[in-house]
Amino acid sequence: MSALIGTEDIEVAYGDMPVVRGVSLEVRQGEAVAVIGPNGAGKTTLFKAIAGMLALRGGRILYEGARLDGLRHYDIVKRGVVYVPAERELFPQMTVLENLELGAYTNYKSRAERLRFVLGVFPRLEERKRQMAGTLSGGEQQMLAVGRGLMARPKILLLDEPSTGLAPLFVSEMYRQLSRLKGEGLTILLAEQQIPHALAFTERAYVLENGGIRLSGKSKDLLGDPEIQRTYLGMA
Amino acid sequence: MIAILVDGIVQGLQLSLMAVGITLIYGLGGVLNLAHGQFAVVGGIATALFIEAGVNPLVACALGILSAGVFGLVVDRTLLLPAYRSAGEERLLLGLLITLGLSFVVNGYLDYKYANISLTLNLATPSFDVAGITIRTASAVAASIAIVAFVLLFAFLKGTLLGKVIRSLIQNEVGAGLCGINPGRIRTLIVTLSAMMAGLGGVAQGLFSSLGTEMGNELTSFALIVAVVGGVRSVNGTLVAGVLLGIINAFASYYVGAYLTLIILLGAAVFTILLRPAGLFAYRT
Repeated sequence: MSALIGTEDIEVAYGDMPVVRGVSLEVRQGEAVAVIGPNGAGKTTLFKAIAGMLALRGGRILYEGARLDGLRHYDIVKRGVVYVPAERELFPQMTVLENLELGAYTNYKSRAERLRFVLGVFPRLEERKRQMAGTLSGGEQQMLAVGRGLMARPKILLLDEPSTGLAPLFVSEMYRQLSRLKGEGLTILLAEQQIPHALAFTERAYVLENGGIRLSGKSKDLLGDPEIQRTYLGMA
Repeated sequence: MIAILVDGIVQGLQLSLMAVGITLIYGLGGVLNLAHGQFAVVGGIATALFIEAGVNPLVACALGILSAGVFGLVVDRTLLLPAYRSAGEERLLLGLLITLGLSFVVNGYLDYKYANISLTLNLATPSFDVAGITIRTASAVAASIAIVAFVLLFAFLKGTLLGKVIRSLIQNEVGAGLCGINPGRIRTLIVTLSAMMAGLGGVAQGLFSSLGTEMGNELTSFALIVAVVGGVRSVNGTLVAGVLLGIINAFASYYVGAYLTLIILLGAAVFTILLRPAGLFAYRT
């Protein structure tokens, strides 16, 4: 199976400070892949670069066989690469429904069908649909952020820390729904600090440290790796 | 008393019409437009020139408003481009300088070329009585124009996809980008629309009293105060602040005179910023 999206030796820097150094990774069609690592490892920077929100200093990004780097971030969304940041970036003074509708901006004609789909995935959003997004709980806002991303009919969803600040119950619920979406063929690249959840959910994972890939492999192998267990899972 | 109040409300609505453009351009483009009053003057003076050329006054008004829009469009696609290329504080400062420069150029040109032109629209029936209060027809018409413009603007922002896109960009430009929205095109549309609303304000000024070529800076100052008091990212706030300040303006002008009035209005603006730094109706996030 060929890669749907891949980065080749990409470099990203903030000013003079390199944050992502020579990262090469790939995600195949229908696959779920995790990027794990400590805070400040460069996960978010890597995701923002793939989504076109940060320029590359080196390397390239290929998507469906063509260059993705250099395109404007809003054009990247049109191609089906949709980024859901940890900050969620919702429209606080608009209703849940309006937030979702705007998610379908790039395929507005099919918004009704997408809306049915998303409200099926997150029924709680249906209950809250007339409420302002800014008044939702953290868990509900996260659902809305993922739901808004799904409205764009993504071919690949870049999910940055979908469990940040969520109660454990919401984390489990979020991963249950993500598993369902994966079962329906959605390709997912996930950055996550909740490492057991991330490794249980994905097929493969990359371990990012200081902006570079330290380890990679099958998620279940990494879950059993003594070094991962010691460094990230707090096991002796 | 009531006559002053009515006068204030009418003036206030007119100020809102101007200020809402400043609000929208700042909210969406990150540029505080110091030439906004000049947009109004361009619209008003163009109307006067069309009338002078023998065009039917109503058509002339429409053409004048359209001229303001075209002027805004050209400014957005040429002068403001360097500002849009930068971000944050740099964009704000560059925008301030560019629009300040533009206001000088427009003032100078109009003064040189059309010094004797002003727009004064006279209506057939000067006034009418409602429940014992005499109301100037011009005031009623100017107020109606502003109210209709605001109703249309609100319907547009709430009810259409484009309106929602505009609101989304004002609330969170990053979030809008994540939805695939290209802010550039929408910004051009907003600057054009805001210039047309300013043009409408200019025409309304001609109806209310008279609009001269030298009035650009005065209109910008008033509109800026209204926009700041209303919260520079809130359309609702701008409307309410315009009416409030219009009323303050009318009473202050009547009791203490025009010079002190501007000081009082500025005082009200400073007071608002001290109490609510993001304006009366700032977004709660």
